[in-house]
Amino acid sequence: MANLARRSGSPAGLRRARPQDRGPRTEYLAFVLAGDVYAAPVSFVREILKPPPLTPVPRAPHAIMGIVSVRGQLVTVVDLRRRLRLAEPVPTRRARILLAAASGGETLGLFVDEVLQVYRLSESEKEPAVAALGGDVAPYIEGIARPSLGSGLAAGGRRSVEGRTEQESHISVVILLDLRAVLGFS
Amino acid sequence: MADSGDRAREEFLSEAQEIVEGLGRDLLALDEGLRASRLDPSLINDVFRAVHTLKGLAGLFGATRMASLSHELEELLDKLRLGKVDLTAAVLDLLFRSVQLYGLILQAEKEGRDQVIPQVDELVRELHRNADGAAVASPTSSRYELDPSLLAVLTEYEEHRLRANIAQGLRLYRLRVQFQLATIDQALDELKAMAKPHGEIITYLPTGAGADADSIELDILMASAIPVDELRRALASGGVDLEEIPRRSSSGPSSLSQVELERSSPVYAPPPSGRVPSLAPPLHPDELIAGPKGELGTLRSVAQTVRVDIHKLDHLMNIVGELSIVRTSMARLVERLRAARIERDLAADVHRLQRTFERHLEAMQQGILEVRMVPLGQVFDKLARVVRQISREADKLVNLVITGAETEVDKLIVEELSDPLMHMMRNAIDHGIETRSEREAVGKPALGTIALNAFQKGNHVVIEIEDDGRGIDTTRLLEASVRRGVISPDDARSISRSEILTLIFIPGVSTKREVSETSGRGVGMDVVKTNISKLGGVIDVQSEAGIGTKMTVTLPITLAIISALVVMVEDRLFAIPLANVQEAVVLDPGAVRVIDGREVVTLRGSTLQLCRLARLFELESQATQPTTNGWPTSATSGAPGSVSNDARPAPRKTSTRQYVVVTAVGARRLGLVVGTLVGEQDVVIKALGPSLKGVRGFAGASELGDQRIALVIDAPSLVDELHAPGGERIRPLIASRGSHG
Amino acid sequence: MVRILLVEDSTAMRTYVRSALEGAPELNDDLEIVEAASGFDALRLLPRAAYDLVITDINMPDINGLELVRFVRQSERHREIPLLIISTQSSDRDRDRGLALGANWFLAKPFTPEALRHAVTQSLSGRSSQPGDAAGGRF
Repeated sequence: MANLARRSGSPAGLRRARPQDRGPRTEYLAFVLAGDVYAAPVSFVREILKPPPLTPVPRAPHAIMGIVSVRGQLVTVVDLRRRLRLAEPVPTRRARILLAAASGGETLGLFVDEVLQVYRLSESEKEPAVAALGGDVAPYIEGIARPSLGSGLAAGGRRSVEGRTEQESHISVVILLDLRAVLGFS
Repeated sequence: MADSGDRAREEFLSEAQEIVEGLGRDLLALDEGLRASRLDPSLINDVFRAVHTLKGLAGLFGATRMASLSHELEELLDKLRLGKVDLTAAVLDLLFRSVQLYGLILQAEKEGRDQVIPQVDELVRELHRNADGAAVASPTSSRYELDPSLLAVLTEYEEHRLRANIAQGLRLYRLRVQFQLATIDQALDELKAMAKPHGEIITYLPTGAGADADSIELDILMASAIPVDELRRALASGGVDLEEIPRRSSSGPSSLSQVELERSSPVYAPPPSGRVPSLAPPLHPDELIAGPKGELGTLRSVAQTVRVDIHKLDHLMNIVGELSIVRTSMARLVERLRAARIERDLAADVHRLQRTFERHLEAMQQGILEVRMVPLGQVFDKLARVVRQISREADKLVNLVITGAETEVDKLIVEELSDPLMHMMRNAIDHGIETRSEREAVGKPALGTIALNAFQKGNHVVIEIEDDGRGIDTTRLLEASVRRGVISPDDARSISRSEILTLIFIPGVSTKREVSETSGRGVGMDVVKTNISKLGGVIDVQSEAGIGTKMTVTLPITLAIISALVVMVEDRLFAIPLANVQEAVVLDPGAVRVIDGREVVTLRGSTLQLCRLARLFELESQATQPTTNGWPTSATSGAPGSVSNDARPAPRKTSTRQYVVVTAVGARRLGLVVGTLVGEQDVVIKALGPSLKGVRGFAGASELGDQRIALVIDAPSLVDELHAPGGERIRPLIASRGSHG
Repeated sequence: MVRILLVEDSTAMRTYVRSALEGAPELNDDLEIVEAASGFDALRLLPRAAYDLVITDINMPDINGLELVRFVRQSERHREIPLLIISTQSSDRDRDRGLALGANWFLAKPFTPEALRHAVTQSLSGRSSQPGDAAGGRF
C-alpha cells in the first residue's frame, strides 16, 4: 500500500525542468479504466490498496460493487468504470482500490483496473475540457493532459510499475478527472 | 486554576442536574402522598435540602438565576418543613414548575446563555406571595430528660423535628449501637429500614466510645408512638441497645439535667482551649458487637458512583468488539492447531489458555455493557411529570401506573427515548383518554388510566404504553389514508384491521382536525417510528374502539454487540440478530402455497409468509458468475485480491435443502428462506456508510474474521417491506412497485 | 506537608474547594487534600493519617457537621486538630454552635477562593474566631 500523502520529492534523475514550464505544478495520479488512462489530483487520494475481499450489497445502487474492510473500517467500493459508463473488463491482478474522501466525511473506495504513476503537471501541459473535446463534455472531466517526458513520477517507488521503465510507459494523453464531481453524484 | 475551575463548573452543572432529577422524583412522591393524605416529613426535608444545596452551588458558581429561584424556594420550603405553611396542591404545583424551570436554567447555563429568563422572575414572585404563611405556635414546655450534649449538636431542622414529635406526644428513645466503620453505611441502611416503620429517626451522634479504632458507637435519637418493649422487639435483630428517654415527672428532680425545649441558648465552652467540658457519661455499659474485621479501604475516599463520559464507554466498547473478533480468529487457530498433528500437550495448553481468555473476555464484555446500562426510571420520572402537567392542562383525570422502572437500557437509548415516549404519552392523553363527562357517559370511571410498563424479554427491552381511552377510529383512519393517497381504494378494501392500525406510522396521515396545543409541533407517529428504528427498535400498535390503545416499543438492549444467527444464501454470508429470530425450520418445498401473490407455509397451525432472500436480494442471477474473494474473475486471468485465494467456480445448485428462519417483529412474522445455517455468533454491528443509506433490508455489516464481512439483516424493515399492503408480490424477475418508492 | 481532610457531600463543592486551595501560593506547595463525602467517611479516614486541618460542611445527612466537630474535640487522638466549618448561613445559630463546640473558624457560603485560603491559613496557624465575631470571609 502506498500512502501518497507522505510522498516527498521526486527521484533526482527524472527531473528536467524546462524554463517555460516553471510555475505551479500539480501532482496527478494516473490509472487505467477500461483501457484508457485517467488521472486525478493526488490530494484526493488517501491510499492505494490491493482489493481486500469484497462483499457485494444486494439492491445497492448500480455503480456500487460492495463493501470491504480496511483496518476494521467498512468502506463502500464504487466501480469507477461503471460510474463513468465505460466498459468493464474483468478485474486482474493489477486492479486497485483508491481510497478517497467523499462528501460528508465518508471514505469511499474507487475501483480502478490498474494504477500507473504520478505526474507532476504544469498548467501548460493541461488542456481544459471544452477546448480539447468540444462542447458537450461531462462535468466530471476536467480536461486532458499531455505529460511531457520527465513529468512522470513512478508511483510507489523508483522502479515504475510492473517493471516497465518510464520511457516505455510514456502515455501521450491522460484524461483528467474532477473526482469531486464524480463522487458527488452519489 | 483555569483548568480546575472549568472542571469544577462541569461538576457543578452535572451535580445540579442530578439534584434536580432527584427533586422531581421526590415531588412525585409527595404528590402521591398528598393524594393519599400521607405526608412524609422526611421527604419535605429532602426537598428542602436539595434546594438548599442548589442555592449554595449556584452562589458559588455565579449562576444568579438559579440562586434567586433557589432562595425563594428555600424560604417557602423552610416554612413548609417547619409547619408554617401547608402543603396543598397549589403549592405543589409551584414546586413542580420550579423543577421545570431549573431544567431551563441549567440548559441556559450549559449553553452559556446569560439573559434573563422571564418565567423565573414570574415564578419567584409567585413563590414570594405563597411564602407568607401564618406562623404556627411552636409547642412549649414539654420537658424531657435529654442529654444537653445531644441537644447541642442538633441542627436547626433536627431540633424542629424533635419539637414536632414531642408536640404529637410521641415517645423519645435513645438507641445505642456499635458498628464496624468499614461496613457502617450498609449496616445503617439496614437499621434505618428496620426502624422507619415504627417512627422517625431524628439524629445520629457518635459517642466517641468504641471498642477499637475500627468501630464506632452511635447514639440514635428516635421518636415513636409504640411502647419500649414493642420497639425493642421490632429492633431485636439490630443489636441495638434501646432505652426510653423519660419525661420529667412533676414530682422530683432527676439526676440528669433537664432541658427545656424552647429556643435554648447553646452550651458555651470556655474560649481559650476550645474544649467542650466533659459531659454526662453514657447510660449503659457498652455492648460489643462481634463482627468481621473488614479492611478500611484506601486513604482517599470518594462518593460511590463515578460519572463517566459516554464517549469513553464507546471507546471501551469498540475495543471489546475488536477483541471479540480476535477471539473468533483465535478459536479457529486453535482448531487448526488441534487438527494438525503437533504435540498433544502443547495443543491442550493452548486450548486451555484460549478458554480462559474467552471467559475473561465475556466477563469484561458483560461488565462494560452493564456500565452503560441505566434504569428506565430516569425517563419515566420525566414522563410522570409531563403526564401530570398535560392532564391538568387538558382537564382530564389521569392515573399513571408505572411498572418496571428499574429495567435497564443502554444509556444512549435512554436519552433518545424520552422524545418518542413523551409524544406517545401526549397522544394517549390528548386523543386517547376521553373527558370526564365522555367517560361517565359510557360507563367508564372518571379517572382514566395509563399504564407504562417496561420489562426485559431476552435480548430486548419492551416498553408498553396502554390507555383505557377511546381507541383508534379505524374507519376515519382508513378514510384519511385513502384521501391522502397513501393507499389505493382497491387495497383499502382488502386491508385487514391490524394493517389499518399501522397506517398511523405513515407520514401525513392524521385524523385529528386540528393539532392540539399540547401535541406541540404536530410531530406525527411516523417520526416516533423513525426515532425508534434508529435505535434498532420497533413499534407496534393495538387498539379497540371504546376500550383503549396499546403501543408496544421493542428495543435491543445494546447497540454494539449482538448475538446473531449466521446464514448462507447463495454462497453469501448474512447475519440475523438472534433477538429477532424465533426459530429455524427445514423448508418443505411441497408445503409452500401461494396466497394472494405471496408464498406462505403453515407453521404449527398459523400462516407464515415466506421471503426468499436469494430472490429478494437478486442473488440468483449473479450466482452463475465465478468470483475470487468476492471479485468477479474469469477462468483464465489471475485473480485480484490478496494472496490467500478463495477462488470459486460458479456454484451449482447441489443439495436443495433450504431453511426457513422465522423472524418475529412484535406480532408480525416473516419466514426468511436461506440456504444453510452456519451458526450462532456474537457480532459487532458496524453501520453502512451514507452512500448505502437507501438500501433496504440491512442494519449494518459485521466482520466475521479473516476480513470476511456478513451483512446484518434488518428484520423489522424486511417485515415492513413484505407485509406492507400493496407491497412486494411474487412477480419473479420483474421489478415490483412497492408502496415505499 | 499539609494534609487536609475535606468533609462535604456535594461533589461540585469539593471540587471548588480543591481548586481554590491547590496551587495557592500562600499555602505550602506540598498540599494533600483528602476528600470525604459523608460524616461516616470522615470517621473512617481520621484514624488513618495525621491531618493538619479538617474542613467540614454542617448540613450533611446522617452525621451532621456539628456532630463531627463534637466527635473530633472529644476524641483523644484528634482533639487538637484545627476545624474549619463551612456552611450556608440561614441564622447565626449554626455558627455559634459550631464555634461553641470547638471549631476554630467559620466560613459562610458563598465564599470566594481568597476568603477560603485566608480561613485555611488562619486555622492552620491555630487562630480561632470567637462566637459573636463577624464570621470570617463573609462579604
